[in-house]
Amino acid sequence: MTDTSIARRSHRPQKASGLNPKYIPYVLLIPGVLVMVALLLYPMIQAIIMSFQKVGIPQIREVNPKPADWVGWENYTKIFENDIFWSSLRNTLVFAFVTVSLTLIVGTGVGVLLQQLSKRMSTILIVGIMFAWAVPPVAQGVIWRWLFDAEAGIVNWALNLLPDFLATALFGRADWTGVPWLNEAYTVYIALIMTVVWASFPFVAVSVLAGLKSIPSELYEAARVDGSGPWRTFRSVTFPLLKPVFAVLTILSIIWDFKVFSQLYVLLNGPTNRGAFNLSMFSYAEAFRAPPKMGSGAAIAVILTIILLVVTAFYVRQMVKSEDVQ
Amino acid sequence: MKIVKIVGLTAALALGVAACGGGETTESAPAATDAASAPAASGPKFAGQTLTMWRLGDSNPPAQAYMDDLNAEFQKQTGATVKLEWIPWPQVNDKFTAAAAGGAGPDVTEIGNDQVPLWVSQEALSPITPLTSAGELAQIPKNLFGLETIDGEVYAVPWGAGTRAVLFRKDWFDELKIEVPKTWDDVVAAAKKIQDEKGKDVDGFAFNGGSDANHLLGAMAWSEGGDYAVKEGDKWVGKLADPTFKAGFETYTGLVTGGLSGKARLTQNTTDIRTRFANDKVGMYLTASWDIPGIEQDSKGKVKADQLAFFPLPAKTGGEAPAFFGGNDIAVWGTTKNAELSSEYIKLATSKQWADRYAKDGGLLPVYPDTLAALASDPVQAPFAAAFAKARSFPADPNWTEAGETKAVLQNAARSVIEGKASADEALAAANKELEEILNQ
Repeated sequence: MTDTSIARRSHRPQKASGLNPKYIPYVLLIPGVLVMVALLLYPMIQAIIMSFQKVGIPQIREVNPKPADWVGWENYTKIFENDIFWSSLRNTLVFAFVTVSLTLIVGTGVGVLLQQLSKRMSTILIVGIMFAWAVPPVAQGVIWRWLFDAEAGIVNWALNLLPDFLATALFGRADWTGVPWLNEAYTVYIALIMTVVWASFPFVAVSVLAGLKSIPSELYEAARVDGSGPWRTFRSVTFPLLKPVFAVLTILSIIWDFKVFSQLYVLLNGPTNRGAFNLSMFSYAEAFRAPPKMGSGAAIAVILTIILLVVTAFYVRQMVKSEDVQ
Repeated sequence: MKIVKIVGLTAALALGVAACGGGETTESAPAATDAASAPAASGPKFAGQTLTMWRLGDSNPPAQAYMDDLNAEFQKQTGATVKLEWIPWPQVNDKFTAAAAGGAGPDVTEIGNDQVPLWVSQEALSPITPLTSAGELAQIPKNLFGLETIDGEVYAVPWGAGTRAVLFRKDWFDELKIEVPKTWDDVVAAAKKIQDEKGKDVDGFAFNGGSDANHLLGAMAWSEGGDYAVKEGDKWVGKLADPTFKAGFETYTGLVTGGLSGKARLTQNTTDIRTRFANDKVGMYLTASWDIPGIEQDSKGKVKADQLAFFPLPAKTGGEAPAFFGGNDIAVWGTTKNAELSSEYIKLATSKQWADRYAKDGGLLPVYPDTLAALASDPVQAPFAAAFAKARSFPADPNWTEAGETKAVLQNAARSVIEGKASADEALAAANKELEEILNQ
């Protein structure tokens, strides 16, 4: 509404600003666009250029930097030949798929639960889970690293409390003392999935709750009259109406989970265990650890960005398609 | 539908953010060159100037006292004040990277001797050849300049030499009536006994799989007659797959598979081990004597220097294992604006008086030959002096740091063997291939 009122005011003959009202929205956009160009577009283009160059410290230092050598596709071909790239890619994709699914399932479950609770209880619960969401990524990593500690960790302690026959039946071992979680890629990623799901489901839950509040209660009454059970109601009433909310949440989760870095860095105790790298860690290790190879680090970042673009574009397309059908 | 547009826009925005997060490869640290200020008209030549000096390691009382005295003396002689910063060892390469890229480096820095070739190749150090042939510095033996001399130019001056020996809990050994180990079997037996008495979560002999793991692995491999790589012509040829290296590698991984060190701590470096040692969780580990003040501090005074002692690492084949020839150098940072003042600082710090005290206070071996000769009769320093006689070093190549620390080639090979994913032969064959690729790039 604001822009029309400004526009109207500028129509007043006695106060001619000289600016055609149809340009005003664009003028208002300029500051935002400038910030985006400076902070986003320029570094992105730089990164793409660097991914075709050999860039080390002599090329980027402040005092008489050397010109960077153009190496064509060499950075990319070298990366594709590297086993670490393929294991990182696998880790990234599997982790993102599992974590996005779990985050949405747990988040939706908690969101639905929140709506059933009394106002007071749901407020208490929201405040509680929002604490997890507010924990900074490095602190999340530290918390879960301690929980998964082999000797002093609460995870192994809790698993030890299970009756022996149950633990043996479920996991094939009864004694969990000293069992390392943070060595092998497989178990590291179990810990990482827990960490990330724990910290990101509250946002999903609260968003779903907001969506649920906007669904008219008449629909639920009608469903009840028709004899629909809770599962059926969720499938036929809640889910279709919340689809746009889920679309946004899914895309955001995909984007967040593809670039997880800090939590993994802390859980791995630094970039030594290469088998457990994801693409972000791999990019960091190439670009910033001595001797820095910023060209190949940039190339990995570009590949990660392209994968993310493709996945998201595909998903958005699916959404648009299904919306068109309706 | 409107919501679809919003979805699309949100996605586009978030992707932009993602691209930014994933692609931040340009670093522009602000230039913090507060060092160059105008020289004062009167007084000593450099009065009013400031020199930034990086010391490596943790600041501990004796080291801090040494630096205070050295910097006071420097100020008396030149009039310049020194701004001192401490950089913990495991962070050194990351800090140097940031400093070299961003321009916010020191004027003078301490540097590990095996790191010199890497940082010379990154053009981060200034040559200081004329310094080394003048005055007292000329007494430092020329064979100590092996890693520091590149293409005929000297880039760093040895400040103190360090080798490694096994640090152990003397009070535990006395309590459990364990003799100081003379053979590798003694070490294993002592470690087992410590674990039986002090708890299963105690590492009898700590496995190092972090950035400085090769100090331990190297000693074990060298003692079997193995080596990492040798230069044939202008190419490095990896020797990791040789049976001699494999024998040492198996002793190394055996620390974990044999149960002397916990399976959960495959990435711990010397600093991590030291922290656990200070908390009564480690019986023995390979290190140098500069760890002792840090242990007293970390344990809040509960573990004191008189509860600790060293013995030379026994080789599995008998005798003492050759230790890593380590040493700390001092060098002029490449982007310094105070080259002349920096040279003055190095001249003072490596003069006989100050270099000898640096070695003595820091638990290192002196670089001046007559001081070193006097040490052989010192019971505390004798294990190090003995190891020093047999000291070996890693491949002298700028790319060694990438293989040994950044890519952690052998640490990852050891992990795959310990986890049973590969046999020692398979893991070492793969590591050998990668080592050759890195050294010959």
